[in-house]
Amino acid sequence: MLFKEDEAARAEAMAVRNNAAWYRWTHDLVDVEGPDADKFVDYLFVNNIAKAAVGKSKYTTMLNEDGKIIDDVIVMHMGENHYWISTLYAPQFLKWAAAHDEGFDVTCRDVTAEWDMVAIQGPNSLELVDAVLDEPVDELKRFSVVDRRIGGADVKVHRAGFTGEMGFEFYIPTEYTADVEALLASEGTERDMPELQILEVYVRSIPVEKGFALRQDMYGLTPFECDLGWSVCMDKDFVGKEALERAMERGPEKKLVGLRFERPSTEDISQTEIVYRKGVPCGIVRTAIYGYTVDDNIGFAVIDAKKAIPGERVTVGMNDSPAVICDKVFV
Amino acid sequence: MALHDRLESHKALTTAWGKLIPEKEAYKYATRQLAAFCANLFQVMRILEPDFNKRTEAICEISYSLNMSVSGEEYMNEFYDAWNIPEFCEKSAWLGAIFGDYGDEAEDMAGRVIQFTKDRVEKELDTCPWDIVGAELCNMTTAMFTANFDLANGGENDVSLNMCEARGCGDRHCRVVAERRSTFNLPKQGFLDHMQQPVMPVHNTPEERTVSEGQILRNGQYSNAFGEEHSLEYDYRWLCEFGWAWCVAFPLVVIRDMAEDEDEFLRIFRIVFSTAGKNLFMEPFAREGLRSWLGAPRTIGDNDPRLMGGYIMAVLDSQLVPYELDAFTKDEVRINVTADDFNGRFEMAPMDELAIGYEALWHNAVKTLVSAEWSCWFEGIDEEDMTIVIGRKIDKHMI
Repeated sequence: MLFKEDEAARAEAMAVRNNAAWYRWTHDLVDVEGPDADKFVDYLFVNNIAKAAVGKSKYTTMLNEDGKIIDDVIVMHMGENHYWISTLYAPQFLKWAAAHDEGFDVTCRDVTAEWDMVAIQGPNSLELVDAVLDEPVDELKRFSVVDRRIGGADVKVHRAGFTGEMGFEFYIPTEYTADVEALLASEGTERDMPELQILEVYVRSIPVEKGFALRQDMYGLTPFECDLGWSVCMDKDFVGKEALERAMERGPEKKLVGLRFERPSTEDISQTEIVYRKGVPCGIVRTAIYGYTVDDNIGFAVIDAKKAIPGERVTVGMNDSPAVICDKVFV
Repeated sequence: MALHDRLESHKALTTAWGKLIPEKEAYKYATRQLAAFCANLFQVMRILEPDFNKRTEAICEISYSLNMSVSGEEYMNEFYDAWNIPEFCEKSAWLGAIFGDYGDEAEDMAGRVIQFTKDRVEKELDTCPWDIVGAELCNMTTAMFTANFDLANGGENDVSLNMCEARGCGDRHCRVVAERRSTFNLPKQGFLDHMQQPVMPVHNTPEERTVSEGQILRNGQYSNAFGEEHSLEYDYRWLCEFGWAWCVAFPLVVIRDMAEDEDEFLRIFRIVFSTAGKNLFMEPFAREGLRSWLGAPRTIGDNDPRLMGGYIMAVLDSQLVPYELDAFTKDEVRINVTADDFNGRFEMAPMDELAIGYEALWHNAVKTLVSAEWSCWFEGIDEEDMTIVIGRKIDKHMI
């Protein structure tokens, strides 16, 4: 929970928005390899993954047979028939992959313990990144991965992030994590680029302002209900495609929207608090957080599609906290 | 929506007279039942050990040890996966806060995580069904939290943990703050050092934004910050299993040791529960209120044991204890229940004291709810198959 008055949180958020900051951002990591790896990732995910060149990455969702989102991931094309999948739920992913790998010559391995990940985010992040790498990455395009060295460590540099700002992610062999973090701390301090300490600032506050949702916000919705239709390639086969086609014909039943709360804070609002329109339940909150760029209490909610009208006034929870439905991109 | 369409979607228990008590109400009732049993047990402790510090330290120590022993490394590793705790969340000390938050909400201790950072966690509660028990229990929970933090850290933690406010002490909120000792330059704490003020200021939620019920009552489910969701059904079962462990089984181990011998412990234990039972329905409006709650018709007269039988059935149902009704007449009520079901709510720590305590409680409650002609006893109380009997009994040494 973050509050307007929290100057420490505000300073961390502003560092990302106005300069740069870094933080441990290790996700679960699954290595997918084998002669059918291309076909397999294309079958599991809605986006056209195999079309990404080696060294490129794509954001995508994974659906169940009902066409509903069960995970959202970044898939990195690391080599010929070789992918890395960055997820927060590797144990669940491996079970899902095992249940769908019949006929595919592919191996999936949880390599989370082998790689840490540090995010460096902010408009000036390239300066800090170049300061610690053996060679600059000035030309690295968004959603691209390259090999570099930091001291004695061979690292992967991925230009991506979850802040909506210019940013990079270092994948570091875990035995070198402490060395890399020490170097980032040293170089970052010289540039007023702090290590972020407050989880909710970089997991929720900063991303929500830019409309970035977590899997839990979208779980059980179709990509279209989350404005992720752009990531769905209907001209290939994938798990959940048939159900998704039917859902497209029916139109969205729910919609992931933004909420602006009209009270000074949101202590009485949990992740699944009920949203009411004219006193009638119409959906549930998915997150409520303070955004330091917008200087407001904001969040996401899943609302019945017919009632998900921007500008519509609603109340949330047992204390009738007033809120307004809005676009989920706040800045 | 027509009633017919909803019949399959809402659960309820049925009283002896067919009145439906919704699942949420039964769950809420069960939380207070557990707290009341715990409150009685703590009265036993206060008689056996008059020194507040000595008894508090004793239950803290045993709760810490038992919490450590029932939650091993393997348990914690499974916990990380089961709870969707992401890798970027340091598994050093603060995961204890996640488990603590879930435990609170599963037992209708409604509140919020105010702060969750690498160096500080603050949890605030607006309600606690156990706020009737007393300050020793508030202290005891800090020992359990310490164990959670130690387990998450894989050894001694780096946490200074304080329950700086407690509803059991009369405060409006319960508030637990964990601050990293190495960051805030704080000393390691003893078991009685956990009720101090934290270094950093706290956030006090204004009264108009407090909540009166936990997430599962408000929203039908619990959801943590990482998206793990638990249903009311899951939490209800958790309450009726682990709830008995932490607030009854853990302290029982050491309270028993405060007595000179087993006979002394049981003598005082029975007296305390008997007193509580006598007071349960002393007020005339308590009897009338119970009749209304159970839907007991006026054909069940004031001297009818079925009123007590219906009450016991509602208690067992709300505590998720299976039983079989063997007799339900104006002359006798017989309820069959196994010791495994009645005493073994938490499978790892079955407690004979549940049967002993409820026998004393109900034997005396029936005297104010129905009349002094009636008694309640457990046939086969030391055996696997027990029968709870409400019947007439004359005893020249009746207590």
